[in-house]
Amino acid sequence: MTDAELSEAEKTFILHSVQDNFREDGRGNEDFRHMEVETGLISNTNGSARVRLANTDVLVGVKVQLTAVDPEKPEVGRLDFFIDCSANATPAFEGRGGEDLGSEISAMLTRAYSCPSAVDFHSLCVLPGQQCWLLYVDVLLLECGGNLFDAVSIAVKAALFNLKIPNVTMTKDEGGVELDLSDDPFDFKRLNVAGAPVVVTVNKIGHKHVVDASEKEEECTLARIILGVTEKGTITSMRKEGSGSLDSDSISEMMESARKVGMELNKILLKALEEEEKQGAKTVGFLR
Amino acid sequence: MAGMELLSDQGFRMDGRKPNELRRIRFKKGVFRQADGSAYLEQGNTKVLAAVYGPHEIRGSRGKALHDKLLINCQYSMATFSTQDRKRRPRGDRKAQEMTSHLKQTFDAVVLTELYPKVQLDIFVEVLQSDGGNYCASVNAATLALMDAGIPMKDYVIACSGSHMRDTPIVDMNHLEESSGGAEVIMAILPRCDQIVFLEMNSRLHEDHLSGVMDHVMVGCKDIFNILNQQVQDELCQKTELDKIVTTG
Amino acid sequence: MPTDTRRLTGPESSQSPYNFAPCSKLDMRNLEVRPDGRSFKQLRPLFLRTDVVSQARGSSYIEMNDTKAICAVYGPREVLRREDFSLKGQLTCDFKFATFSCKQRRQHQQDSQEKDLSVQVLEALEPAVCLHKYPKSQINIFITVLQHDGCALSAAIMCASLALASAGIEMYDLVVASSAAICGSLTLVDPTAQEEETILKSTVKLDANAGSVTVAYLPSMSQVSALSSDGELSFEVLNKSMQECVANCQRLYPVLEQTLVKHQQELEASKS
Repeated sequence: MTDAELSEAEKTFILHSVQDNFREDGRGNEDFRHMEVETGLISNTNGSARVRLANTDVLVGVKVQLTAVDPEKPEVGRLDFFIDCSANATPAFEGRGGEDLGSEISAMLTRAYSCPSAVDFHSLCVLPGQQCWLLYVDVLLLECGGNLFDAVSIAVKAALFNLKIPNVTMTKDEGGVELDLSDDPFDFKRLNVAGAPVVVTVNKIGHKHVVDASEKEEECTLARIILGVTEKGTITSMRKEGSGSLDSDSISEMMESARKVGMELNKILLKALEEEEKQGAKTVGFLR
Repeated sequence: MAGMELLSDQGFRMDGRKPNELRRIRFKKGVFRQADGSAYLEQGNTKVLAAVYGPHEIRGSRGKALHDKLLINCQYSMATFSTQDRKRRPRGDRKAQEMTSHLKQTFDAVVLTELYPKVQLDIFVEVLQSDGGNYCASVNAATLALMDAGIPMKDYVIACSGSHMRDTPIVDMNHLEESSGGAEVIMAILPRCDQIVFLEMNSRLHEDHLSGVMDHVMVGCKDIFNILNQQVQDELCQKTELDKIVTTG
Repeated sequence: MPTDTRRLTGPESSQSPYNFAPCSKLDMRNLEVRPDGRSFKQLRPLFLRTDVVSQARGSSYIEMNDTKAICAVYGPREVLRREDFSLKGQLTCDFKFATFSCKQRRQHQQDSQEKDLSVQVLEALEPAVCLHKYPKSQINIFITVLQHDGCALSAAIMCASLALASAGIEMYDLVVASSAAICGSLTLVDPTAQEEETILKSTVKLDANAGSVTVAYLPSMSQVSALSSDGELSFEVLNKSMQECVANCQRLYPVLEQTLVKHQQELEASKS
């Protein structure tokens, strides 16, 4: 969060730079900033990832837990998103200050992951009608440098990629079925995240729109649309955010940009994650 | 079970350390750009991030301002995924509140608060992974973050924990040793002034052993100090060297 | 989650009888007529009325067959906390499903879905309200859905915009909202709860395109003020149904206008 508000002159400068498709940090309107992704840093979790997108820093830990199925959906597992806005990011988040932002992001993630093709929810069910896996996806926001939604969703996807769910063996007893968790750390199954969406935020600045807005650029925008985009280019959820309004032609253009960027992002992310796993590099975490 | 002994007959602890051996310490100052000071510290599997904001104007009600010195505001939180079992809330529980007030007391004693009257300093600590010694790691990380922010302090504050097992004092306990039910002595000291700024003991320990444990913990603190100080000074030297190259062209 | 200690809570775990009832889901693949007899492109009749809450500055009631919502607007009034001072007026919105409004009982406290909907209603209305005319003050909107049978968000947005207008809050335009549910090649305009649930709550993939779209629109300025979609939709389908919703909004606009005119006439009649 920028502590100083932008002056009119600064806003005009940013507006003009977006108009010329040459933003203040030298990017074009559809370019992302430099991003680093790393998985498997927190050994207490079943899957974890950290994403650093310029100054935005997000850490995600996924923990799995066996739980009773939702009676409305007895044959699928569940995802539970929780976003904690750490005061490390900005003093404004101290105490309960970050709760509103956190619930906004978690609502968006829940919606983006609510379609049946996002992850294989059926594979998360252990005993149909009785037990399923509940994945606690806990996001920790460590620094805010703009474009939180996108960074969080990328980190979530990376953490789900990294997720290792212990295998369960079932033994039939006279009383019912007994579940045994495998305690061998190498006896696990993975989750297929190919269908999982990433969130792309498109900000309207002046007559043009930009993706991956920096904090300053976010100050200049009144309306943005946030979309969940899958690798195939389908849109899993969308919402408009901000106090401004948009005309429907520009929405179509913004959606088109988001789709293009989102598909590319999904592809690059998956490639980078597979590459990282193949190399088996040691985690460096925050020590670099 | 032989494998479950906290201290084996050969004198080794469960993770293979000797009684007075510390866990590996790794840290980095200045991990964040936006905070005025920040540090990341690992003590074995305990991983902590600290960020310092300020000194800045009092936030919230002005009534909190102290007319003659700096107001230190701390917040201790633990990531929901930091522990073995998932935590429901990252902060606000009693343990976190207690930890917050302990941190505040500790740093009130060491920061030169009288230099900044009527303003506020925020110290935020976030535990990313918890494996015992959370308070110690938090204090050590926060010290580094304060140094990164350039806040004047009397000295480093270094914290370390210790206990007494099978007639031997041990230092820098991990989670398993902490939860074994034995006594736990936690100390925060100013290593160069030999002063104790925080001392806590849980559970039961024979009076005769207390001073022995305290001495060992003190040594542990000083060992940590040497490790931190060495790297801090090395980095400083490197930086001044670089600056020299830059200025002399 | 904080719990309300003053209210009697039910048993800790209970199950809705609907979990055991035969599935009331629609067969989307072979759907020829909608359960309520409408054609796919037909909107439900819209009934609107202002001045239903006498204490409030402005209020309105909306009915779309079985979706019923009531909204009250209070303010502009003074901001209570001095730190919240701002040159622009503040708009707050509180969206709540009545406990008895849905198939499953709702809690008295706002849950995360209701919070999310509050924000969406707020963001749909903000572009329409001349907030710069109300410095240092706040305007509070309270929406309660009395009966939920689909399209709660669009009903709430329309109801709230009418309530704001009837409260005499300066606005650029009325906000009209409309939804559509999509499943494959079918587009169901103004879906009912059953239709929404069949598409959105399905655990198996119904079709490559299955979801719903809600659009809020300012007709006289042709601006979209809220846009929300759920489920998985392809770009083209989403775009097309968005345009369809916009067209429906334009069709609904006269109804809102008429209600407002009637409200004004009644006001003048009561004065004289």
